[in-house]
Amino acid sequence: MKKFMIFIRNMNSVVLAIVSLTLAVLISGVIMALCGYNPFEAFGAILVGAFGDKRAILQTLTQATPLIFTGLAYTFARKASLINLGIEGQLYAGAMVTAVVGVMDFGMPMAIHLPLALGAGILAGGLFAGLVGFLKVKFGSNEVIATIMFNKVATCLVAYLVNYHFLAEGSGSAQTEKVLETAMLPRLFAKYQLTIAIIIAVGACILVKYFFEKTVVGYEIRAVGQNQLAAETAGIKAGKLMILTMFISGAIGGLAGATHVLGVDRRLMIGFSPGYGFDGIAVSALAAENPVGVILSGIVFGALRAGSMVLNRTTSIPTEFTNVIQALVVLFVAAPLLVKEMLGVNLMKKLEAGKEEAADE
Amino acid sequence: MNNLTAYLIPILTATVSMSVPLIFASVGGVYSVRSGIMALGLESMMMTGAFTAVVGAYYTGNVWIGILCGMAGGALLGLLHGLLSVRYKVNQVISGIGLNLLALAATTLLMQLLWGTKGNSPQVPSVGIYIGGLSVLVYVMIVVVIVAWLVLFKTRFGLRLRTVGENPKAASTVGLRVHAIKYTGVLICGTLAGLGGAYLSLDHMDMFVRDMTAGRGYIAVVITILARYNPISVVFCALVFGFCDAVQIYLQGQGIPSQLIQMLPYIVTLLVLTFGVKHITPPAGVGMHESD
Repeated sequence: MKKFMIFIRNMNSVVLAIVSLTLAVLISGVIMALCGYNPFEAFGAILVGAFGDKRAILQTLTQATPLIFTGLAYTFARKASLINLGIEGQLYAGAMVTAVVGVMDFGMPMAIHLPLALGAGILAGGLFAGLVGFLKVKFGSNEVIATIMFNKVATCLVAYLVNYHFLAEGSGSAQTEKVLETAMLPRLFAKYQLTIAIIIAVGACILVKYFFEKTVVGYEIRAVGQNQLAAETAGIKAGKLMILTMFISGAIGGLAGATHVLGVDRRLMIGFSPGYGFDGIAVSALAAENPVGVILSGIVFGALRAGSMVLNRTTSIPTEFTNVIQALVVLFVAAPLLVKEMLGVNLMKKLEAGKEEAADE
Repeated sequence: MNNLTAYLIPILTATVSMSVPLIFASVGGVYSVRSGIMALGLESMMMTGAFTAVVGAYYTGNVWIGILCGMAGGALLGLLHGLLSVRYKVNQVISGIGLNLLALAATTLLMQLLWGTKGNSPQVPSVGIYIGGLSVLVYVMIVVVIVAWLVLFKTRFGLRLRTVGENPKAASTVGLRVHAIKYTGVLICGTLAGLGGAYLSLDHMDMFVRDMTAGRGYIAVVITILARYNPISVVFCALVFGFCDAVQIYLQGQGIPSQLIQMLPYIVTLLVLTFGVKHITPPAGVGMHESD
């Protein structure tokens, strides 16, 4: 027991992440129990719904794909100590432009059309976030508030564009025309929604890890994140790098929207994102802001989402509690002192101190 | 001339009524920032206040108990923010964001658990008392603003609160109870933001709607800064934002696509954030602990 306590006291980020997730699940379980549901039954059903058979696992990976992208986008900005809360807006911007390029019929082959559609989404997301970076560097406007405001602007703008300029003919709901075959992301298994987007997502995570560990620019961005003044003294152009960081972070967010449009819905549907952009914050927190950890953490939350969707079909338990779990993870990971206290480390310390005092006397 | 007043009166009334929740929250934000705690969690306090107010009004049938519940809900979130940032030394930006996420998720979840609906709560009794065409809460707001100014700048408590916010270490050295003062600051902040939320749900709408505050908490943060952390200036800054909201609502029926008009308050906030608040420095001790 004592050894366990010492282990917890010195816990590193991985242990903190696992403990935080466990605490968040426990708390939501208690809430479920208070509302009259059986939490063991519920989480059992979630596990089966997320990993029970091939369909479940593929659904988990499909749900994980946008979360890996948005988690990576948030993580990327964090490396420069920037907080990008605008991933939701960047995702919609990317989705919009991709959906427009996706329906363009110039007789392009897939080898041109698909990369073009993806690239357009990446660029749109990147420019949207890069603008925030520019405003921060040039005018000192706080990026946390600016990105939240841009989220609202982006969702309104996309709703306007879809409703007034790109509405699918004869459609009852607000959505664009279906993208052409040549722009669709190939599916990995027939009849399942999982596409090669998951491979792109994993590849992007590895690429970002490589970028920060092996390239000069990556190193410089981390230097800015750790100590902007020191980095500038060393001759690093912090402003430019911060704009670049926001651009890439937004580009990854745009890619999340682009792959959703080309892979899952095959068109842009208003309100398609249940808040993927904000989920990225929790994904990144659970991954301790490690780009490769984002893959695993995205799958964990993807599983939670896939499992709770099955749960929602069979019982009346709302899927919203997954969002509560995510928010709690963000708070717990940010508050190691709280987690230690909840695990009774302080109590142990006091007991030990008491013993020592007794020994001294 | 008659024509002009026919346009102006409704817009001006709407301006005041849209400013009220922003003013309550921003004055709360002033208390919080002046005590050295960043007010990024305002959104969560407003959202929770709006929700608990409806819960209180729904189960008691009494709108005033609802409003008290809203203030209590906001205060609870304020206390949480205080605990996280004072006791557990969490980065105040992250704790604010985390609480905002939690409040949105929790209110949506609870709405489903209590009433089985996803989008909005059942209708509840509303305040519905008007004096001179304005809700009675407008007059409450005026009192709150004046009291806040007196408390912050004319009382010993206000001086202590500001000292803690400027330099927690020095405040601690001269024997001030830094933690107690900071907790008081965030509790007042939460209570007022909760009242702002309660105004939205009980006076403005008569129900709770998912994501009811829709970024107003963040706009309140901008107002707090723009007003240079002074409760009187908060009123004037908030009226600007309230006016945008009023114009937005007015233009809804005028044939311009509503999606474009809805962007107005957010774009104005962005412009103010970019060009209006550059040289305003917050109290020196924001985000610091007495042990720093």
